[in-house]
Amino acid sequence: MPFARTAGRERCHRRLLAAWQQRVAQWLQRRIPPACQVVLGHRNIFILPNRQGLGFMLVLALMFIGAVNYESNLAFALVFLLLSMFLLSIFHTFRNLAGLHVAVAPGTAVFAGEMAELSVILRRLGRSSHESVRLCYAGAQPQLCDLIEGREARVSLFVPAAKRGWLEPGRLTIDTVFPFGICRAWSLLDLQLRLLVYPAPQECDLDSLLSNQLHSGNTSLVRGSDDFHSLREYRLGDPLRHVAWKNYARGQGMLVKEYASTMDQKVWLRWDMFAELDTETRLSRLCWCALRLDEAELDFGLDLPGLRLPPARGEVHCRQVLESLALFDSGRSA
Amino acid sequence: MRAHTEVYNIPRPTFLWLLAAVVGVILPHVLRLPIWLTAICALCVGLRVLIYQGRLSFPGKRIKVAMVLLMLVLVGAQFGGQLYSTDAMVTLLLTGIALKLLEMQRKRDVRLVIYLCYFTIIAEFIYTQTIPITLYMLLVVLLTTTALLSLNQHFLNQSSADPPRWRSLRLSSLILLQSVPLMLVLFVIAPRLAPLWSVQVQSATSRTGLSDTMAPGDIGQLTRSAALAFRVQFSGTAPAYNQLYWRALTLDEFDGREWRRGISPAPQPLGPQALAQQAGERQQAWFAGIEYLGEPVTYNVILEPTDRNWIYTLQMPRMVDARMRMHADYQVSSVRRITQRFSYAASSHLDYRLPANSSVVERRRTTVLPQDSNRRAQAFAQQLRQQHSNDADYIQAVLAQFREQPFFYTLSPALLGDNPVDEFLFDTRTGFCEHYASAFTFLMRAAGIPARVVTGYMGGEFNPYDGALTVRQYDAHAWSEVWLPDQGWQRVDPTAAVAPDRIERGSDAVLQEEEAFMGDDTFSLIRFRNLLFLNELRYRLEMVDLAWNRFVLNYDQDTQLDLLRRLFGSLNRSLAVLLLLGGAAACTALMVWLMLRGREQGDKSQATRLYLQFCALAAKRGYPRAPGETPQHYLQRVAAAMPQWQRELSRITRLYEEMAYVQGEEGEEDDRLRELQRLIRQFRLRA
Repeated sequence: MPFARTAGRERCHRRLLAAWQQRVAQWLQRRIPPACQVVLGHRNIFILPNRQGLGFMLVLALMFIGAVNYESNLAFALVFLLLSMFLLSIFHTFRNLAGLHVAVAPGTAVFAGEMAELSVILRRLGRSSHESVRLCYAGAQPQLCDLIEGREARVSLFVPAAKRGWLEPGRLTIDTVFPFGICRAWSLLDLQLRLLVYPAPQECDLDSLLSNQLHSGNTSLVRGSDDFHSLREYRLGDPLRHVAWKNYARGQGMLVKEYASTMDQKVWLRWDMFAELDTETRLSRLCWCALRLDEAELDFGLDLPGLRLPPARGEVHCRQVLESLALFDSGRSA
Repeated sequence: MRAHTEVYNIPRPTFLWLLAAVVGVILPHVLRLPIWLTAICALCVGLRVLIYQGRLSFPGKRIKVAMVLLMLVLVGAQFGGQLYSTDAMVTLLLTGIALKLLEMQRKRDVRLVIYLCYFTIIAEFIYTQTIPITLYMLLVVLLTTTALLSLNQHFLNQSSADPPRWRSLRLSSLILLQSVPLMLVLFVIAPRLAPLWSVQVQSATSRTGLSDTMAPGDIGQLTRSAALAFRVQFSGTAPAYNQLYWRALTLDEFDGREWRRGISPAPQPLGPQALAQQAGERQQAWFAGIEYLGEPVTYNVILEPTDRNWIYTLQMPRMVDARMRMHADYQVSSVRRITQRFSYAASSHLDYRLPANSSVVERRRTTVLPQDSNRRAQAFAQQLRQQHSNDADYIQAVLAQFREQPFFYTLSPALLGDNPVDEFLFDTRTGFCEHYASAFTFLMRAAGIPARVVTGYMGGEFNPYDGALTVRQYDAHAWSEVWLPDQGWQRVDPTAAVAPDRIERGSDAVLQEEEAFMGDDTFSLIRFRNLLFLNELRYRLEMVDLAWNRFVLNYDQDTQLDLLRRLFGSLNRSLAVLLLLGGAAACTALMVWLMLRGREQGDKSQATRLYLQFCALAAKRGYPRAPGETPQHYLQRVAAAMPQWQRELSRITRLYEEMAYVQGEEGEEDDRLRELQRLIRQFRLRA
């Protein structure tokens, strides 16, 4: 029976905790609504003495007892000076955050398993400096930042991107204990920052998969780009490494080399190419294939259940394909 | 895997600030504490520097334990039974800091050392509270605070960045300065509680002062110190100089050589409650019978610590103070020992009448003499007594002896043998107040008149600037009291018969020429009191010091109530406190706001200020700006006169106009301001 009771109590605790966290989150949502840029001020900065501050108070209390016992007015004066300093440090710590403009910089997508770089831009609006401001996302290594001489600073925080789909790092914790480390001022900002995480590419035998789709006798995609075929006019979006620089130097204008294997080849990446595998593995393999095909500059299309991208090539198309893979079925899996 | 193996590197500036603070905290204790402690502190600081430089590694666990044990043993050996004394505590605290330095590895260790430093600053105030030490300690507080601040500065951790110099110091002094108004108000309004437990302060050097025994023949050379005994501020006019007999204690037992204190009956408490409760019947008879005559002299005394209970007053004191009590010899003493500077208010009636019905026991005790000593003096007294049967006549006859016979006053009398009174009266005839008081009292007792020796201080030095009376150790004095059947106890000062100047003008005036005088204070300012300018300076300094003592060091509950009453009249006390607190908060907020506002609006006014500076510089070189002249016109005129400066001048004018009239981006404004500053500096130096 006692076992059952403790288990029940634990469940109860967990439920209470969850409810409490939810309440806090709701309150935060009202107090500091999501916005992609925020100016820190009295509405969104919280401030409390921290543990070191309590230690400081304890020392002050001991000193006060000493002053009382030795009836030393100078000791009293010292205690009161430090107490005033403590009170003022609350203000100074607040001021160290107040007037700071926080915004997000656009981030770049990453593959699952990599570290996603989240960039925050701090700018000071007033003339007062900001020192030792700490920025942190849950799961990231905190970064410290100063705005003493400069007016703007960019801080990169790295968060592990575990799963494909949208990476939402939650609220940014921005806090400071400057100047004395006895008070902590902090704010929790929802900067509406989200980053797309593509599936982690997983290698597979692309040649055999696509063998039935390619012209016979030219099955190797890896060697495909070797055979020079002809030159054509440069179009926006062509890879720069295919530009015929020698011709350009001769003043013949921007020409692009075309290769035999990349001509007229249209392949489809299909969902059912990996019939026996689970969804995530399939997506990972498809991702790898798409990357290879993009590298080989083949036209490729994507055929997923409920989604069909016609064959094309180029950076934009590739990104579209990867996005589709990243967000595939996200309604259900999320 | 080992967690938290990451080594925290104390930033160099933090380390230096902290080291300065630690050394600053330890330094004033050095002379007071055992020499081994100083050595160990110096060793620890030195080792810590070596560790910081990487030439040594942190001590291992075994070494640390060994060092702590060694410390405990040393402290135990030094203080023995007095392990709970303040000295031992301070020693422990300082060793703690020194040892902690050696294992200061993490950020929290640094913080702990900083907190310890703050705490130890208080320890210094237990011993000394002079103005110089206070200023010095303020500096140490600043150093410690700077260390604390730099500990939280991120840029100091980056070796690559070139940190703005002195930024930590500037910030911490700014914050400390801002804390001052609030501190002052807290100081004024905070309640002063009674000590929670009694503490013993015994400084390593024994204090100079009166002794509770007196053996005139034992001292060959009296070296006297100019150390402060106490200071008095009279409210109203001070009494005549020859009335300034500060009574300390009576000595009524004599063994032929030495006078000492006898046993006194139950004392009379002087607290207002005790006096009110015991009004009339239950008060001691000797106390209840005092008749106070004439106008009282009221005064405030600031007593230097004596480690004794004695309270110095003018006779006859009428005090209402719960901290004191009066004994049957009309001597006031403090309930607690005076281990720190102590302030009390008193009023005395110089004119008074005592109950004449002294107890038989007391009379007998104050007439006994050892039978077998000083026989010549006893015989002499009996012979004189036969000629003067009246007590008053007899006293006059004895004083006349001192006056008319070749008795001399000196600070370097001859040593006396087994019968000191005999030898003094009939052989050497030289001595100081103690010899005369002792001999006189002896002669009184030998004639059957109750008499006792009183010691204390006589006179002092009036400061012409604030009228305060400074009494020093060399003003110590001894005189006699005799009991007359119809008048009770009366003061008789036999020294006055020998050296009337001592009583009329003070020991300072009489004894300046004597070699022995102030042999102890070679470098004291008082040695140079004949130089007029230095004497003025000394009086001024003493005045400041007295004010410091009265208003800061001795600020207590009574002063507090008095101050609040004077500031707010009849206002409720808690309301007054709230008002003061609100005022302080407003003051602090105003200061902070002004500071921030000054920063926000700095640009424009600064540009104007710089431009005007430039105009003044040009004017000095012969081209003053005409009233109403626009910067552009002015530029043309000056540039025409100084063509080699054409480029700089037009740049200065442009920058000023841009800053004054065009709203720029903030970064731009900063750059412009800096450029303007640079150009003007160039102009100042080279044009």
